[in-house]
Amino acid sequence: MDLASVYYLGVTFLLFGIFVAIVVRTYSRKNRERGEDPKYRMMHED
Amino acid sequence: MTERKMVVFLIAATCVFLVGTIVTMVVPFKSINDPKLKIATVKPYTPLQLEGRDIYIREGCNNCHTQTVRPLLADTERYGEYSKTGEFVYDQPFLWGSRRTGPDLARIGGKYPDAWHEKHMKDPQSMVPRSNMPKYAFLTHPLDTSLTEKKMKTLGFPYTQADLAACQGKTELDAMVAYLQKLGTDIPWREAAKTQLVGELKNPFLDNVTVLPEGKKIYDANCAQCHGADLKGGVGPSLVDIDKPDADIFTTVYAGRQATGMPAFGDTLGKERTWKVVTFLKLRQRH
Amino acid sequence: MDQQQGYADDVVKGFILWSMVWGLVTVLIGVLISLQLVYPQLNLPPFLTYGRLRPVHTNAGIFGWGIGSFMAFFFYITQRLTKTRLWSPGLARVQLWLFNVIIALAAVTLLAGMNRSKEYAELEWPVALLVVVLWVIFSVNIIMTIAKRKEEQMYISLWYILATLVGVAVLYLVNNVSIPVSLFKSYSAYAGANDANVQWWYGHNAVAMVLTTPPLALFYYYLPKSTGVPIYSHRMGVIAFWSLIFMYLWTGAHHLLWTPVPDWVQTLAMGFSVMLIAPSWASVFNGYFSMEGQWNQMRDNYLVKFLIFAITFYGLQTLQGPSQAVRTFSAFIHYTDWVPGHVHMGTLGWVSLVIFAGIYYTIPKLYGREIYSVGLANLHFWLAVTGQIIFSITMWVAGVQQASMLHASNPDGSLHYSFMETLIELYPYWTWRSIAGIIYLASLLVFLYNIVKTISAGKAQPAEQKA
Ligand code: HEC
Ligand code: HEC
Ligand code: HEM
Ligand code: HEM
Repeated sequence: MDLASVYYLGVTFLLFGIFVAIVVRTYSRKNRERGEDPKYRMMHED
Repeated sequence: MTERKMVVFLIAATCVFLVGTIVTMVVPFKSINDPKLKIATVKPYTPLQLEGRDIYIREGCNNCHTQTVRPLLADTERYGEYSKTGEFVYDQPFLWGSRRTGPDLARIGGKYPDAWHEKHMKDPQSMVPRSNMPKYAFLTHPLDTSLTEKKMKTLGFPYTQADLAACQGKTELDAMVAYLQKLGTDIPWREAAKTQLVGELKNPFLDNVTVLPEGKKIYDANCAQCHGADLKGGVGPSLVDIDKPDADIFTTVYAGRQATGMPAFGDTLGKERTWKVVTFLKLRQRH
Repeated sequence: MDQQQGYADDVVKGFILWSMVWGLVTVLIGVLISLQLVYPQLNLPPFLTYGRLRPVHTNAGIFGWGIGSFMAFFFYITQRLTKTRLWSPGLARVQLWLFNVIIALAAVTLLAGMNRSKEYAELEWPVALLVVVLWVIFSVNIIMTIAKRKEEQMYISLWYILATLVGVAVLYLVNNVSIPVSLFKSYSAYAGANDANVQWWYGHNAVAMVLTTPPLALFYYYLPKSTGVPIYSHRMGVIAFWSLIFMYLWTGAHHLLWTPVPDWVQTLAMGFSVMLIAPSWASVFNGYFSMEGQWNQMRDNYLVKFLIFAITFYGLQTLQGPSQAVRTFSAFIHYTDWVPGHVHMGTLGWVSLVIFAGIYYTIPKLYGREIYSVGLANLHFWLAVTGQIIFSITMWVAGVQQASMLHASNPDGSLHYSFMETLIELYPYWTWRSIAGIIYLASLLVFLYNIVKTISAGKAQPAEQKA
């Protein structure tokens, strides 16, 4: 593998890492209520 | 607080857009501009050709015609050598199109004589009866050359005063034909693709009258536009009294005569149907 | 706050009504160009030829009908989701005028042949500059409203709205860079394969940022509002959101398969297109799961019918799209009628059905009246869906038939059919497409009548239901 491929592979893993982090954070128990709150609040706004 | 969060969101969204943008839109400039892809014989447009190209854009011909031949048999057999990156370096904008309501035009240059294009542009149905291409007879009005020099300068194309003078007194149609005749001719693909006919040529349908109806159908669909429905000629010569050996006629039709405007039909008709139309040309006089 | 008085809604009405006008223009021209393909004598040179009319059709559709109504809904939705009055109603008025001036100018300049030729970025540079001004005015207004919001968290629709504002800005600016020669003529700043690649990075993301994210913003808002039940999962919406806007930007080159742009760009586009199924279908499932226990509303509530059919067409669209992005299949159907079949399932099925639902929901609220006739709304629905399905199916069949003929070869390797032999087979299908278009046109007229009657003669809404 040349340097460029290693580099690209690294970036790919990095991006994937970010994705996993977003999923974990969104679905963490801490975020459970907060994450779903907007869908209830939007029902009684107008 | 709420403001800051929104700003963070906007920045995050922009960064997310930029990843794919950089990889698939910015970086490819480097690959496409690779000097290895340059083709030395590719020339910029002359003033007349450029004006023709601008009319092509104005009329939206790209809504029906593409200008890229893909490396697929159905494309290369029908239109010619597949398109190369280096052939488009002077195309601002590119005119590849996205829809083939009409045939691809990337290699149209040299396929037909100028006279064919003139008649066809003015009235496509007179050449190809069931075509749905609009009539462009109005293009016969004089070409507006007031911006020509400025256009050449803007694009940085080389030109001489003689080139500019050559646009004077021309019609828009002349410019269009000049443009069409340039398309795809910067690489010498026609010579390379020239069909080599090897071995002895013998007509498998010699004196076989049963193929006459089919031969006539092939003639009407492919040849009548130039040689006339009655064979008396038009863009091409009269074939009424053609009296050459079958093998010669076959070679003319199959391989074409590029210099004088007789297209090659080998790839579209194949051998068998070419022989049938040859048989039609020869036998019809006697029947 | 007295919300009925508090929100700036006049401009919402204005945008809705004008977008309906441009929608009618789109469909009328659509029918005309579809007929021109069958009867070339309907071309009236120089101004009314197919080559000049087709860009008017696409621009009126995407920008007049699409963007016009999205501007209305973004104003409407944003105010309600933020519980905040629009930052500047005055600016929004200016925007409405500017919008209509631009669309009219677009139609006139395109018919006059002033055309940059790049699809969906045809407008010459002076008009394109006006578009930039328009977008800045619009974005500032929405962004400032969201910045001053009284709801701390942003509902998913607002995410899609913000993404649209940023996305369109980036795309439009880059792809429109040109070198002017005169007031009416410019050349693209990029050449050849570079220009092609920039164009389709733009072109596909116009599909993303105009025909996908705004209707999704609407869908996520109007589905819960119509059913009275919250969306199934807000968090799934969030994950789908980030994945969608990330992946879309990689896929432009699926419009350029087998062309001279570098192979690796094409391959990436192919891969990401297939991956796009996941975030697209996340929204589809979010819609379907929200209907749990509510499916009876498909029968009883015409708004739900529009929305669920819309998201279903979106689901089909996002399965068909990725298949077209695969090299082998592209080799077959690219450049054929298959693609207009795909396009119009998206525009007529997905985008327009969502907009219809939005208008049916919003107009009665804004005017304090009930919809004039639910029966007519149902008739509109069935005519529209029938027209669209006939349109798409005939085009898919036509595309496959022409493709098979173009690729057929004789035993000696020569081609079996000339181009013209394949073209004449298409005429019957194109006739059917025109019929489909006329059915769709009829549906649109029913719709317009219903809306106009609602505004002029609808029953006043009972006080307690008043929004
Ligand atoms: C409505 C679609 C349509 C438009 C617009 C259109 N064409 Fe065509 N064109 C066709 C069709 C279909 C054919 C094939 C039948 C024929 O030769 O007329 C064709 C054929 C051609 C051919 C001959 C190609 C060949 O290999 O035989 C040329 C050259 C051509 N068109 C040039 C143009 C130019 C230049 C314009 C713009 C001024 C234009 N066309 C606009 C549909 C269109
Ligand atoms: C684009 C117009 C065009 C079309 C289409 C065309 N031809 Fe020709 N053809 C010409 C021209 C021009 C010449 C004269 C070539 C020359 O003088 O060298 C010619 C020459 C010929 C000749 C030689 C005549 C001679 O006296 O030597 C034959 C035979 C012929 N064509 C047959 C056909 C057949 C068969 C078809 C249909 C399959 C066909 N042509 C289609 C333009 C055309
Ligand atoms: C129902 C009436 C309609 C009819 C009859 C119609 C007809 C057509 C026709 C004939 C074409 C050209 C297809 C080709 O190149 O072969 C076309 C293209 C297109 N139309 Fe429509 N149309 C209609 C409605 C719409 C609407 C409402 C929109 C947008 C909101 C729209 C968006 C488009 C787009 C984006 C294209 C370009 C497709 C491409 O490049 O492949 N159309 N339409
Ligand atoms: C996952 C989602 C999607 C993917 C991967 C996708 C893929 C594609 C591909 C590969 C093409 C090019 C076909 C060809 O020319 O051979 C195409 C064309 C098109 N698609 Fe989609 N599509 C998707 C969703 C949508 C949606 C939701 C719409 C909404 C209307 C849409 C509208 C269009 C339009 C307008 C074109 C025509 C572009 C042109 O040639 O002018 N697509 N799509």
